[in-house]
Amino acid sequence: MAITTATDRLTLLDSGFMAKLDQLDILSRKMLAGKLKGERRSKRRGQSVEFADYRNYSVGDDLRFIDWNIYARLDKLFLKMFLEEEDLSLYILLDVSKSTDFGYPNKANYLKQVAAALGYIGLVNYNRVHISAMSEGIVADTGAMRGRRRVAQMIEFISKLQPTGASHFGDACKRFALTHRQKGVCVVLSDFFVKEGFQTGLRYVAGGKYDLFCVQVLSPQEIEPELTGDLKLKDVEDADTAEVSITQPLLARYKKNLNAYCLSLKEYLTRRGGTYLFTSTAVPFDTLVLNYLRQRGLLG
Amino acid sequence: MFPRFLNFLPAAIAAATVVPVLVLLYFLKLRRREQPVASTLLWKKAIQDLQVNSPFQKLRRNLLLLLQLLLLIALLLALARPVANYTPGAGARTIVLIDRSAPMSATDIPGGFTRLDEAKRRAKDLVRTLGRDGAAMVIAFDDSAQTVQPFTSDIPALLNAIDSIEPNDRPTKLESAYRLADAQAAFTSEFFVRSRQPPDVYLFSDGRAQDADKATVDGVLHYEQIGTSTAANIAIVAMNAKRDYQIPTHVQVFARLANFGPDPVNGVQVQLSVDGMVRSVATVNLLPERFSEDQRRAAIAAGFSPRDSIEFPELELTGSAIVKVQQMNTDNDCLSSDDAAVVVVPPPKILAVLLVTDGNFFLERGLESQKLKIYDRMYPQEYLQLPDSPDGGKKLPKPYDVIVFDRVTDLKAQDVPKIGAAVYFGCIPPGLKLQAATNPDGTPKVFDDNFVLDWNRDHPILRHINLGKLYVAHATEVLPTLDSQVLVDGTNCPLVVLHRENQAIHLVIPFDVIDSNWPLSSTFPVFLYQTLQFMALGTDLGVQPSYTPGTAIRIARSAVEKLDPQIRSVTINGPAGKLNAPIPPTGDFVLPPLNKVGLYTTDPPIPQYENIAVNLLDDTESNVLPADVAPGSGGQVTPVAVAGARKELWRWMVLAALPLLMVEWWVYTRRVHL
Repeated sequence: MAITTATDRLTLLDSGFMAKLDQLDILSRKMLAGKLKGERRSKRRGQSVEFADYRNYSVGDDLRFIDWNIYARLDKLFLKMFLEEEDLSLYILLDVSKSTDFGYPNKANYLKQVAAALGYIGLVNYNRVHISAMSEGIVADTGAMRGRRRVAQMIEFISKLQPTGASHFGDACKRFALTHRQKGVCVVLSDFFVKEGFQTGLRYVAGGKYDLFCVQVLSPQEIEPELTGDLKLKDVEDADTAEVSITQPLLARYKKNLNAYCLSLKEYLTRRGGTYLFTSTAVPFDTLVLNYLRQRGLLG
Repeated sequence: MFPRFLNFLPAAIAAATVVPVLVLLYFLKLRRREQPVASTLLWKKAIQDLQVNSPFQKLRRNLLLLLQLLLLIALLLALARPVANYTPGAGARTIVLIDRSAPMSATDIPGGFTRLDEAKRRAKDLVRTLGRDGAAMVIAFDDSAQTVQPFTSDIPALLNAIDSIEPNDRPTKLESAYRLADAQAAFTSEFFVRSRQPPDVYLFSDGRAQDADKATVDGVLHYEQIGTSTAANIAIVAMNAKRDYQIPTHVQVFARLANFGPDPVNGVQVQLSVDGMVRSVATVNLLPERFSEDQRRAAIAAGFSPRDSIEFPELELTGSAIVKVQQMNTDNDCLSSDDAAVVVVPPPKILAVLLVTDGNFFLERGLESQKLKIYDRMYPQEYLQLPDSPDGGKKLPKPYDVIVFDRVTDLKAQDVPKIGAAVYFGCIPPGLKLQAATNPDGTPKVFDDNFVLDWNRDHPILRHINLGKLYVAHATEVLPTLDSQVLVDGTNCPLVVLHRENQAIHLVIPFDVIDSNWPLSSTFPVFLYQTLQFMALGTDLGVQPSYTPGTAIRIARSAVEKLDPQIRSVTINGPAGKLNAPIPPTGDFVLPPLNKVGLYTTDPPIPQYENIAVNLLDDTESNVLPADVAPGSGGQVTPVAVAGARKELWRWMVLAALPLLMVEWWVYTRRVHL
C-alpha cells in the first residue's frame, strides 16, 4: 500500500483557490451571540440598521431609540429595537493523531487543507476563528484570530502541525469545551477512529452551545482495503496488533463494520442536531469544500 | 483398474506428519507479514464476528491453504508410488535372469528399442520394488550363464548390474542359467537364514531356448515375456561352401532361408559375394515358419510358390576367398545378425603323402583313391637308411605333407619327424611323451577283442563317420598325455589318439588295420581322406567351418609357432572391435570367445585362421516369435507377464503438482480471495 506522510511538502491553499473561497462564508443554523461587533446578526439587540422589535420604554432607556411617531399616535413611549450584528466564532477541532498519517492521499494533509480552507473563510469574513489540534488532548491552539491579516499566521500554524501520539478524543473534546465557552460553529475534522468510542468526546461538543459539523475523512485504503495473505496488522497509534488471514468474508465483514460505524456516528450527531459529512481522501479537496460543505450548509 | 501404491506406508507416515504440520503452521501463523493500519478497531471486530461461527471456517475458505494442501497431497501421492496394472514386486529372495543372446537384439519393441533394452527396463522396475529385507541377484545368460550381481539388498548395485549387461549373438541355453540360479539359491548366507522359502526366479526372455524342454529350476518361475508376436525376421538358417572333390578349384555355395515373421514374403533377394564383389543374386519366396500345414497348403493353392533354398552357380576359386551370402530384405527385419552368413574358403590343397610300409593292400588302395598330388611308397628299411635331418626325423627326397607309417615297429626316436604330420598304423612312435603301456616284463601291453566305446563325432577327422561296428582284434595300449586327444576310445584302451609334440602332429592308431574289420567298412576311405586333410590343413573337406557365436577356437601351438616362435600375443579384429589375446608360454592357444557374428581377422595372421567366420545359422535363434509358455520348468510357474504390464504413475502426480504450484503462486501474487 502506498502511504504518504504528512511531512511531505504541501501547499495548503493556492491563490486561485483562495479567490474562490473569498466568495464563501461560514453559515450557522443558529443565531449565536458574538463577542465583538461583527457582520452577523446576533441574538442581542443592538445598533444595526435592521429593525427587530418594539418594547415599552422604561426609565433609563436611551431616548434616541424612542419611536416618536408611535408616541404621537398612541401617546405611549415605545422603544424601537434593532438587531445587533456581532462576529461568529468558528472552532475547528483538527485531529492530528498518528492514525491520520495514513493512506494515499494522506489523511492528515487532507484534514489540514480542509481546516485551512475553513479557517481562511472564517478569517476573511471577520469571524472569530479558533483552531485546536488534538491528539493526546489539545496539543496546540491558535487562540482567537480575526481578519484577513491573520491568514498567514493560521497557515503557518496548520503547516507546522505533525501527526503524532495516540488519539484521546474524549479528553481533547472535554478540554476544548471547557476552554471555549463562547458559542459558535464547531467543525470537527477527524477519522473518528476512537477506540474508547467517539461518544466519549462528542458528548462535550454536541447538542449544546456549538453548531456542530463533523467531517469524517478516510483514505481509500481504509474504505476498500487492498490487503492479502496472512498479516499482522499493527495499529500505528498504540502498536496494537491483530493477526488476520485476509479472506473475502473477512473483507466483507470489515466493510460492513465500517459502514455500521459511520452510520452510528451519523445517527449520534443527527440526534444531537449536528451535521455529519463523510469523505474519502480520493475526493478532491476543493470539491469537498466548494460543493459538499456548501450542500451541507456549513458554507454559503 | 485402480492403481496400487508401492510405497504406501512411507507416504502415509509422511502424510500423517506433514499435513497436520502444515495446518498447524497455518494456525500458528508463524511468519506473518506486518502491515501498518490506521486503526485495528474495525479489524478486530471483524475477526471476532467471523470467529463466532466456526474455527474451521477460516481454514475452509482459505484458498492458499487449500492449494497448498492439494499440492502436498499430489506430492504425497507421488511418494506413494502408484502403479497401474500392478504386478507383484520382488520377493524376499529374487533371482533375475536376463537373456542377452542373439534374438534379444531384435528391435521389435516400440520406440526402436531392442528386446534386451526392454528386458533391462522391466528388470529394473522389478528390482526397484525390492523390499528392505529382500535380496536379489542378477544373472545374464546366453549359452553360458554369468552372475552379474550376487545376492544383495543394494538396489543401486542391482540397477548398475542390470545396466552393465551387453547383448551378444550367442545362442540361448537355459540349463546353465537355471543351474547357476539353483546353486546361488542353495547357498545359505545371512539373507536366507530367516527365510527358507523357494526363491522367485524372474526370467526376462523371449522364451526361445535350445534346451527349453530339458532345463529345470527350483523355486517359483516368473516368465516375463519380452518381444512382440508381429516381429518380422528373414534369416539365413543354413549356408555352406564346399570345394568339389574332383575339381578342387570349383566351389559350390548353398544357403537356406526362413521367414519367422507373420506374413508370407515374396521375392526376397539373396546376394552372393566373394571378397566383397557381388557374384550372383537369387530370390526366394518364403512362407512363415509359424504357418501350420493347412495354412501352407492354402497359401500354395492361392498361387504362392515357396522356395527357401538356393544353390548358387558354381564358383571358380583358385585361391583363398571369403564367401558371403546376404538377404537384402531388411526393411522390417528386426534381427540383423542372421541377415548374412560368411564362410572362409581356403586355397585348394593337393596333398603330397609318403607311405612307409612293407605292403598293406587296404592302406595302399585307400591312399590311391585320394587323388593325391604326390603319393610315394617306401619300405621301412629305405626310410631308416635315409640321412637324419638336423630338425629331427629323416631328410626326405621331397617335401611331404603327411608321412604314413604302417607297422614300422623298429623306428627309433631320431627317426620320428619333429616337424610336420605323421600317421602311425600299428606302431607307436618312440621318443615322444606319448608312450605305450608296458607289462611288468617290459613288453607292450596288448588287449584283445576291442570294440568302440565312444568316439569324438565333432572332430574333423571323424565327422560323418560311424565307428559303432569297428572291431579290433589286438590293440596296443597307449598312455595319452596332456598334449594328446583321444579320438576313438575302445572298450579296453584308446584306439585313435591325436598327439601334438614339438612342431609335429602325430595320429596314432595303435593297431594293425588288417587285424580289424575297418578296411572293409566304407568309413575307412572317408577316415583316410579326412585324416590327410586335417593333418595337412587342420580342417576338413577344404573349407574352414564357420563357427557359432561364443565359440572359443582352439589353435594348435604348432600353427602359432609356424608364424613366429617368439610370438606373445595376437590381435583379433572383428565386429566387436580390436581384441588383444595373449598367447600362453606353453600349450595350445585358445582364442577368446567370439560373441558377435561377422568376420574376424587375426593379426599377425595365424595360418588357417587368418579369417574366422562366425555365423548364427540357427533356426531356433532366428525365431523371433516369443514363446507363450515359460521355457523349462520350475517348482511353480506363474502366468506369463505381457510386455509393458506395469505403469508408474508418480510422474503424473508430480506433473499435477506443477500447475497447482503455479496457481498458488498466481493466487499469492494476484490477491485472489475466495
